[in-house]
Amino acid sequence: MSERMPGTGGPALNRLVTPFYEAAGRGLLVIQQCDDCGYHRHVPTDICYNCLSWKWHWDESLPQTGTVYSYSWVDRPMNEHINDGKVYNFAVVELDGITGNAVRLLTNVYDVEKDSLYVGLRVKAAFDPVAGKYASPGGYGPAGADIAATDVGPIALVVFEPLEGAAA
Amino acid sequence: MSADWLSGKAAIVGIGQTAFGKRGEFSERGTYSLVLEAIQKACDDAGISPKQIDGWSSYSNDPNQGAMLSAMMGCDRLRFTAMGWGGGGGAMGGAFMYAAMAVATGQADYVCIVRGATMPGNARFGGMGRPGDGPPHGMISPGNSFALAARRHMSRFGTTTEHFGEIAINARRNAANNPNARFRDEITMEDHHASQLICDPLRKMDFCMESDFGTAIIVTSKERAKDSKNEPVSLVSMAMGGPPRWGDAWFGQAASDPSGMGSAVGGHMCDDDDYVTGGYRTLAQDLYDKSGLGPNDVDVALLYDHFTPMVIMAIEDFQFCEKGEGGPFVAEGNIRREGKIPVNTHGGNLAEVYAHGMTHVMEGVRQLRGDSPNQLDNPQIAVIAAGASMAPTGAIMLGKM
Ligand SMILES: [Zn+2]
Repeated sequence: MSERMPGTGGPALNRLVTPFYEAAGRGLLVIQQCDDCGYHRHVPTDICYNCLSWKWHWDESLPQTGTVYSYSWVDRPMNEHINDGKVYNFAVVELDGITGNAVRLLTNVYDVEKDSLYVGLRVKAAFDPVAGKYASPGGYGPAGADIAATDVGPIALVVFEPLEGAAA
Repeated sequence: MSADWLSGKAAIVGIGQTAFGKRGEFSERGTYSLVLEAIQKACDDAGISPKQIDGWSSYSNDPNQGAMLSAMMGCDRLRFTAMGWGGGGGAMGGAFMYAAMAVATGQADYVCIVRGATMPGNARFGGMGRPGDGPPHGMISPGNSFALAARRHMSRFGTTTEHFGEIAINARRNAANNPNARFRDEITMEDHHASQLICDPLRKMDFCMESDFGTAIIVTSKERAKDSKNEPVSLVSMAMGGPPRWGDAWFGQAASDPSGMGSAVGGHMCDDDDYVTGGYRTLAQDLYDKSGLGPNDVDVALLYDHFTPMVIMAIEDFQFCEKGEGGPFVAEGNIRREGKIPVNTHGGNLAEVYAHGMTHVMEGVRQLRGDSPNQLDNPQIAVIAAGASMAPTGAIMLGKM
């Protein structure tokens, strides 16, 4: 569904996660932050794991950068549709500017080759539009699939690219 | 150190298994049929009738419900059923804990832990959605998630693919003597490195193979165990759980995903030191504390080996070596059956069968009874790691009565 890595399906949407993808659609990485203690958290939940507050907002002031924490190259996609059957990576990126315990995203690192992706690589957020009129597969978890496809603006996946001059 | 109240109050008195098949081989037969056969064999081993089973326990949404099995076999009473939350094999530790608590407190006389599976078509245990409809970043299979843990371990500690290869070589070497094992041909490091790279750094020989199987294990109280037909084995201690903010640390298991993001609460925020574990750190210590024993008392370790790197991390979690030294530790031959701490003397998930942990318990029983295909010299204590997986992972310590 994404424009740059086809065949993987789009994200499931619900009231908690849809704003994350909508912000990405506007070119911004946002992370949930507790109003009371300031801790960030991901994936989105109703309650703060630190102080148990239900009050939170999306932090729109993060530096949009991070460090590759781990990664894998899939040399043999599970089927020929995923990335058109070609090799791809997925990665975990630890974000900068986080209050509380580390926050990591499951993501992809684009614009790297096998010899230029490594643990510790400095990266910046990029955004991979989810193509076409998107309908949530729905039915996931207690948050529920309570947002109809027509309610969703342009959405994107948060991916990463090397920071300028950071390539090995 | 004093053992906890439950220590030694329950025992395994019977183990039963079907033939082990490749994925989908027994799908026409179905899982109830497989499990029924395993239960009868476990009861024969224990010297009881299946009708005496009045309690049932399992994990990871096993499809074979105790109430149905009880009805099928016309059991005299149904008094206790328990199911552990979680995916993968981690909650197996809990399944044995529930059984032990039930028989030790008189809630049931004989609890049967059951696990059976067939994997027809494209079914995958622990899979994250249909192929082509997986999480949007292309992390779709359990192997994908464990590749991330493996890579992080390599990066932090210098662990290598040769270390992973030793896990696979050891499994095949032990399975060669196990007539029930699916993969009995020994392999070399060259074979391991020549196998298909699936998700770097993991190769095909780092993966276990989906299997069809039925398994059953009978647990009863220490007192009743004295009447069993074959030698009972004591449940010395059991632990379940996970480190703080672990949840589903492997970013997977869409079935347990409360967010809808295709990656659940946990690995996004767990401690750095916990990410490079099998999730056993806290509960391995629990297991030792509850038993009053330590890693030096363990004679054989049966460590969940769905992916080779997770055995190295389990070895570290259970304190058979220092954190980060698991790679060199296995490379030195310490996990071979002649080594310091023999691991997976049956061949494990990698070479015997992928039965989600049940066969690791069975091998522990065989070693302590003295009838393993790779029998060690008079072992007294066996440790079993359940998982690695999303929490709860689990651990079981078995001992001679
Ligand atoms: Zn808070």
